[in-house]
Amino acid sequence: MKIASRTLLTLCFGVLCCWAPLSLAQTPAATPAAVPKAVTDADVAGAPVPSADARSKGDPDGSLTGTASDIAVTDAKKGATIGDLVNQVGQNKIAINFVWTLVAGFLVMFMQAGFAIVETGLCRAKNANHTMMMNFMVYGVGMLAYWLIGFAIQMGGVGAVANLGGTPPLNAEHVITLFGKPFGIFGQSGLFLVHRGTYDVSVMVLFLFQMVFMDTTTTIVTGSACERWKYAAFIISTFLLGAFTYPLFANWAWGGGWLANLGTNFGLGKGYCDFAGSGVVHSVGGITALAVAMMLGPRIGKYERTGKSNAILAHDIVIVLTGCFILAFGWFGFNPGSTLGASGNGSLRIGSIAVNTMLAGMSGSFAAMLYMWIRYNKPDASMSGNGLLAGLVAITAPSGFVNPVASVIIGLIAGVLVCISVEFVDRVMKIDDPVGAISVHGANGLWGVISIGLFADGKSNYGGSWNGVAGSVTGLFYGDSGGQLIAQLLGVATLVGFVFTLSFVFNLFVDWMVGQRVSAKSELEGLDLPEMGALGYPEFELKAEM
Amino acid sequence: MMILVGILVTLSGFVISVLSLALSSNGTRLAVVVLGIAVSLFGIMGILNRAYLKNAIWKKG
Repeated sequence: MKIASRTLLTLCFGVLCCWAPLSLAQTPAATPAAVPKAVTDADVAGAPVPSADARSKGDPDGSLTGTASDIAVTDAKKGATIGDLVNQVGQNKIAINFVWTLVAGFLVMFMQAGFAIVETGLCRAKNANHTMMMNFMVYGVGMLAYWLIGFAIQMGGVGAVANLGGTPPLNAEHVITLFGKPFGIFGQSGLFLVHRGTYDVSVMVLFLFQMVFMDTTTTIVTGSACERWKYAAFIISTFLLGAFTYPLFANWAWGGGWLANLGTNFGLGKGYCDFAGSGVVHSVGGITALAVAMMLGPRIGKYERTGKSNAILAHDIVIVLTGCFILAFGWFGFNPGSTLGASGNGSLRIGSIAVNTMLAGMSGSFAAMLYMWIRYNKPDASMSGNGLLAGLVAITAPSGFVNPVASVIIGLIAGVLVCISVEFVDRVMKIDDPVGAISVHGANGLWGVISIGLFADGKSNYGGSWNGVAGSVTGLFYGDSGGQLIAQLLGVATLVGFVFTLSFVFNLFVDWMVGQRVSAKSELEGLDLPEMGALGYPEFELKAEM
Repeated sequence: MMILVGILVTLSGFVISVLSLALSSNGTRLAVVVLGIAVSLFGIMGILNRAYLKNAIWKKG
């Protein structure tokens, strides 16, 4: 029995050596040991297991639960073999990654609640039901669009996602040739999650995680368009965003498309990099919000005839800041979860990514609060909240590639940038953005994308390469020649030039079909009754006009 | 009409940026990509937004 347990330990040690050669290289040289005895199936089968009698007495300290008897065996008569043991190790790795990715996805899904109360709190009470319902239904409408076609466009040709066990069915990318190089345009597998063998455990995990990201994008738009957006227009616009606009850019960045391959095809660093989606999620949402808000025009009373901007106050700053905290909590799923695993391929950076996330959020809120305090003599609550979100948005793309000091700098810049951008959008562009989503998600999403080209420190190692190019993502300040920055700027150009145009044309179509804006009468009355048929706060005495 | 022009100018900024990939020097590529971004921003802020502001609700009193 003793020999069997020793041999089992030796075997486990051998397996660990295979999985973690780098970590072993860091340990001091040990005294040469005797050559280990080869392990046989008989050794594995003879590993000690607790007796039925012992188990029947319960296991209060946990020492009898999770033993050799829990290893799945292929042949019960033969007992456990080395093959069974190694398979169990592999399955455990993938199981850890599945659970990690799913739980991170659940956290991101909960961000919908944060967005809902931030946006509703920043609106007037007479539009509470309407704003809440838009935030509620983006979940369903966006998911439907994404399940039908969006996921296939985005991830249908992503190829192997090693941390999730390979995702082999996602192997069909539509490719064109430009400048003599292959340009991936859209994926072709995964319609309805059954097409071309995509009814697959790995694909399901990937779908859930990517779906909640897409839903974050769709919920950004409702903030800029609230208090005047026709509900029917919102439904169609959200469907188009979830089905086409978001998946297309996400394919180019994450699904094996042409932006991701700028490194392999054109020698631009590691290609366009966006760890968790400052560009893919937040900029796409913020830029679509810009297109919709521009088309809708400002709320009645927002601007005077002279063009002077009036502040339309939030009805509940308490739920706004509570929502910001919920979002900050959900962001721990957003960024660390984007490793798509906690075991293997550098996934242990999840701790670093989580810390970077919280540091940038902190510095963003701090910078915005200070900016407003110095400029307007008061530490504005809603802008402090927006500063927190701006820092989180900006660190989303670089969180996996930068160090804590860079995270704080990126967050500080984001906190100031959001204040300046809100003023610019409001006073210069004269676009009414009730929650500041264009600035928080659009402007800071772009800043996050650019910051990788500057601050990526070349220390990350996700399996030895990124986007098919060997080595670590490195920015200009850490020795890169500028190729990475160009790749990032090409991403920015695509967002500003292509994504904006596509969103704008889609929403022109919606405007033509059902009209984007509610009537002036409905707007003055508040959208709860005319659009939704019920007041958000029936016991409140609401003002008919601002 | 202005909206159509705005859409085309915004999209052309993206096309200019992509065309930078045909160049070999990183310095030139950087300049062309930045030019493309500037053209797109002009299309959005200088043409499209201005077209909507012309008929803005607050100008009608």
